[in-house]
Amino acid sequence: MTTLFVLDVPENISVVTVAVEDPAVTVGRRGHYHEISADGPIVIDRRATGCRHAVWYSCIAGVGRDGRITQHDKNALRVDPV
Amino acid sequence: MTEQDHRVRGVDHVAFPTFDPAATVRFYRDVLGFPVVHSICAAGWGPENHPDFIHFFFDIGNDDRIAFFYYFGSSPEVGGPVGEKGDAYARFGADVPEYFVRSRHLAIHVDSEHDLLEYRRRLDASSWPVEMQIQHETIESIYTHDPNGYMFEITRAMRPVTPQEDDDANLTIDALLDVVAGPEPTFGKLLARKAELIVERVPV
Repeated sequence: MTTLFVLDVPENISVVTVAVEDPAVTVGRRGHYHEISADGPIVIDRRATGCRHAVWYSCIAGVGRDGRITQHDKNALRVDPV
Repeated sequence: MTEQDHRVRGVDHVAFPTFDPAATVRFYRDVLGFPVVHSICAAGWGPENHPDFIHFFFDIGNDDRIAFFYYFGSSPEVGGPVGEKGDAYARFGADVPEYFVRSRHLAIHVDSEHDLLEYRRRLDASSWPVEMQIQHETIESIYTHDPNGYMFEITRAMRPVTPQEDDDANLTIDALLDVVAGPEPTFGKLLARKAELIVERVPV
């Protein structure tokens, strides 16, 4: 299980919207955070989000210990199960 | 941790040395329009052959002030050899990365895009034009260096900061303190610790 927390602020909405396009990914809420989870990897295409640098590189609030960021660059954010 | 009442009221003044008071006054008073609000003319005193000096202040809004020291008879070498990078206070070799050199800076707040662009107009008409105007998505800033080489930023918020961002900042700091207390702190360890704190503290 990989879990990614994203703070609920307007700039981050597209990150969550793009993440859930993958049917294997589910999104729940924990207070002010979106909790994005999957049994396998979570992959978010940067261009699809429309985010520019400042938001893209600071949109992650937390990554559960079962997952690890394996890519976070101008193309994509990828969290793989450990 | 006990919550303590928060009594302070912003920046009284932040102070820097200058070796070029004429250009400093032109930049802050004449170009930007920051009024001179205070100055101290002092004969040197104390045990360290303290030079005679002028300590002068400009209003940066909100009754906050930026201040300078001009020491008679001093030149930039008083702070060490002139380097490849840096400013009147701190000089660095060519090998010091730019992100580090730029890390210490003063950012002055404006309320609107209109005000930001007015200061851009004033700077662009001067000898210190805006070097960068950047929208960081949630804030927008203009940058230049003042006559002393100090990085100078004017910034506006694109939207108000929300209460959840303050809560998130506190989780970040608690996670950071945990991670730096352990060996080899990394960004990955911080995000993992922060995820634990979110699960512990934030109700579903």
